[in-house]
Amino acid sequence: MTPKLQRVLFSLAILSWSAALLYFHASGRIVKYLAPDFRPIALAGGLGLAVLGLFNLLTAGEKADHDHGPSELNPWLAFLLMVAPLGLSIAWTKDEYSFAALSRKGLFDSPAASGASALAATRPPLTREELEKGHRRTADGFYEFNLIEIFLATGDREQQGLLDGMKIATEGKLAPDPAGEGKRARLYRLFVTCCAADSRAIPIALDLGGLPAAEVAAGGWAKASGTLTFPHEGGLIQPVLKVERLEPTAPPAEESFLRN
Amino acid sequence: MDARQDFALAFLSILFEGAPFILLGTLVSGLLDVYLPSGAMERLLPKNRVAAVLVSCLLGAIFPVCECAVVPVIRRLVKKGLPVSCGLGYMLAAPIVNPITALSTWKAFEGQSPLMMTGGRLALGYLIAVAVALIVLRLPVGMVLRPSMLAEPASSPDESPDESCCDHGCGCHGEAPDSSDGKLVAAFRSALKDFVDVGVWFSVGVALTALFNTGIAPGARWLDQVAQHPAGAPAALMGLAYVLSLCSTSDAFIAATLDRFSWGAKLAFLVFGPMLDVKLTFLYQSVLRKRFILALAAGLFVAIGTLSMLWQFWLTR
Repeated sequence: MTPKLQRVLFSLAILSWSAALLYFHASGRIVKYLAPDFRPIALAGGLGLAVLGLFNLLTAGEKADHDHGPSELNPWLAFLLMVAPLGLSIAWTKDEYSFAALSRKGLFDSPAASGASALAATRPPLTREELEKGHRRTADGFYEFNLIEIFLATGDREQQGLLDGMKIATEGKLAPDPAGEGKRARLYRLFVTCCAADSRAIPIALDLGGLPAAEVAAGGWAKASGTLTFPHEGGLIQPVLKVERLEPTAPPAEESFLRN
Repeated sequence: MDARQDFALAFLSILFEGAPFILLGTLVSGLLDVYLPSGAMERLLPKNRVAAVLVSCLLGAIFPVCECAVVPVIRRLVKKGLPVSCGLGYMLAAPIVNPITALSTWKAFEGQSPLMMTGGRLALGYLIAVAVALIVLRLPVGMVLRPSMLAEPASSPDESPDESCCDHGCGCHGEAPDSSDGKLVAAFRSALKDFVDVGVWFSVGVALTALFNTGIAPGARWLDQVAQHPAGAPAALMGLAYVLSLCSTSDAFIAATLDRFSWGAKLAFLVFGPMLDVKLTFLYQSVLRKRFILALAAGLFVAIGTLSMLWQFWLTR
């Protein structure tokens, strides 16, 4: 292969990476993959790769002050290894994990077994009055809580005492609980540190009782309203929301919890 | 079908996160290739070889780069005449001993003894890098670098850049005009080659990481069982760090949530990961011999594991 053809091939490989980064950014899908502070870096990376790829493509035939020899890698193999996994991943991705992967990321674990206590230890002590004052109340009397507040309360006895029996409403994605025999489900969001690969599920259990969950599709966003309890289940404390109402809702602008 | 979807999400997210840092590294390496006179780095370091190692392991404080970006930079600097021992010391230390990593570790461990964890991480990272560099100082270069790295060395610090980095028979010396345009084309061309050389290994490494990452849970349950074992816990977290291949600027946020594990085990995770993981195993192959990478992996595993256990013992005595 001539050096010029190799440069063209490598430029195209780089441009394919650039196109992927820029496309995911322009389409807004990047929010499913990266935490906010990494998104501008990815955009800059996509633009930088475009400049690098285009410059080399347009000057592939020019003489430079000094050219290095050809890459020791087989150019076709290098091209394939850079482009094929990327292309297949773009074709396969649905911008979200399957329930099988989410179960591996803690969807069906108890918060007590997944680090809630350590995170909860960093929070200041509160009173019931402060809790009520700090949360908006719906017209039908439910206090609106962020899902992660309930998750973290599992690691904090004092918080549990305050929240136990409280009527609350919270939002998340709905997942059927395979061990729940149709009476249990999970409401969850992901906690992302840097990218989707390091995400963990932040779940609470929903006790649906006789309530049909059919209106909300599995994986769809739902608002659950009911009474919060902290029963011991399987030797661990579990936040369980006894659901009185479950309705579909629009996803928030930022679907995942972020480290900041 | 689920497995494809999970692999794709993990693969793309890690690729999107890491690719800009590789680009940064290769652009820096391309500029160094064309504009940095051969031997300039060597002249910046003390003449004494041990002192040069000690200083090179601190250069991350001035030139902060993560582990993805450091490999192409080191490829170029070693070709430019930076002693291999100093290059390797910088490569291992820079992802840890730099202000960005220090700040992220502090932030991640706020409320959990941030000074102890940040200080411990920087100190152990520096110590290990210096130790490896001092060992490399005594080894023949041919045992460390892969043949292609030896084929394009800087013959002497006094040579001009063109003469020093092009004894590969390209036949271009004296033919092209020594213009700024020509230099720019050369810099971009060098960056292109470096990006592909590193990007190929990165792509393979990310694919493997994505496979491990989406199937991590059985391992996570096993991890819980070894969390309280004095030797098993750091060994398991070093294994986890290897598989997860997290960026050193952000891995502390994962470590901080591993609340079942001791400080020593978390320290092992935070020091071992930036020095060796799945993607780095592939990236290192663009610079180092496979046999040396194996020896380095074993040495890092034993040394970091042992020192982390001693640190934990000292904390709890």
